[in-house]
Amino acid sequence: MSPWATIFAAGAITYLTRASFIAAGDRLRLPPVVERSLHYVAPASFAAIALPATLGGDRFANVGDDWPRIAAVCVASAVIVRWRNVPASLLAGMVTLWVILAVN
Amino acid sequence: MSGFSFDRRAFVAGSRDIIAIGFPGIPFGMVIGVVIAESGIGSFVGWVGSWVILAGAANLALLELMAEQASTAVVLLTVVFINARHAMYSAALRPRFAGFPRWFRFIGPYFLIDQVFALAASRPDEIAARERLWHYFGSAVTLWTLWVASVTAGLLLGDVIDPDWQLTFAVPLLFSGLMLLSITNRPGITAAMVGGGVALLTTDVPHGSGVIIAILAGVSAGTIAETRSEVAA
Repeated sequence: MSPWATIFAAGAITYLTRASFIAAGDRLRLPPVVERSLHYVAPASFAAIALPATLGGDRFANVGDDWPRIAAVCVASAVIVRWRNVPASLLAGMVTLWVILAVN
Repeated sequence: MSGFSFDRRAFVAGSRDIIAIGFPGIPFGMVIGVVIAESGIGSFVGWVGSWVILAGAANLALLELMAEQASTAVVLLTVVFINARHAMYSAALRPRFAGFPRWFRFIGPYFLIDQVFALAASRPDEIAARERLWHYFGSAVTLWTLWVASVTAGLLLGDVIDPDWQLTFAVPLLFSGLMLLSITNRPGITAAMVGGGVALLTTDVPHGSGVIIAILAGVSAGTIAETRSEVAA
């Protein structure tokens, strides 16, 4: 396949995945247990993205070791739990990482 | 239709709210732009792909696989697995879009980036449908613009950000924060712990299928924990 065909196929897959349930609309009836389970999609998904990105090597922060990343996530987490402010938590986490890298 | 006429205030609020959680996508989008330039698939087709696909993780995997001449089947299968979580997002938002007009059901999902989902899922149910619809579009169009601008900048300017700044680390920091904000009860903690734990164990599962396995495990664990706590109560 040409790069164009591959790209548009990938775009179509992504769109259809995103549209799936929303486009089905109000007619669709899901079993009550499934409806209740959807409440846990956000925490399960965001954890499944965050943890391997933090502990799974240097893909997002090329620092060679896990502990500076863990420390930065812990500081950012403390800020978000206390003040529920995303930009402040990101700043706190990044500054933590920078300080560790500077003194290490 | 008149019930959903344009609500400028909600649109602007959505735009403002998404910037607070969307800006970590800027360095990530720039990385995608750089990878497009280096992939050898062609700058224009790669650039169009960034807004046709509109999903960073899948886009990065696709570019890496195309650069190493992987088969089309492997490329597309990987996109299916990495983006399967969007079907879960779609299912989770569907009840919140009850009564929304038909055109929204087909245009809205195109913009369903992780942060757009996080914002839409966090909004209280009591907010009127019209305001929720335009808040969604405000967030969606703003993040779309930010993303495409970032990819374009990376493509045109190359590696302008000093890698020593480690700015892409804002992505795991952001998702850790979104995870904590999305936990509203004890079973939510279970869902996050199982989802994150299984994701760590499945990083080597082929074609990026570990993420959706982990999410399904986390969602199931949260639901079981909720059922058990109700039985106990």
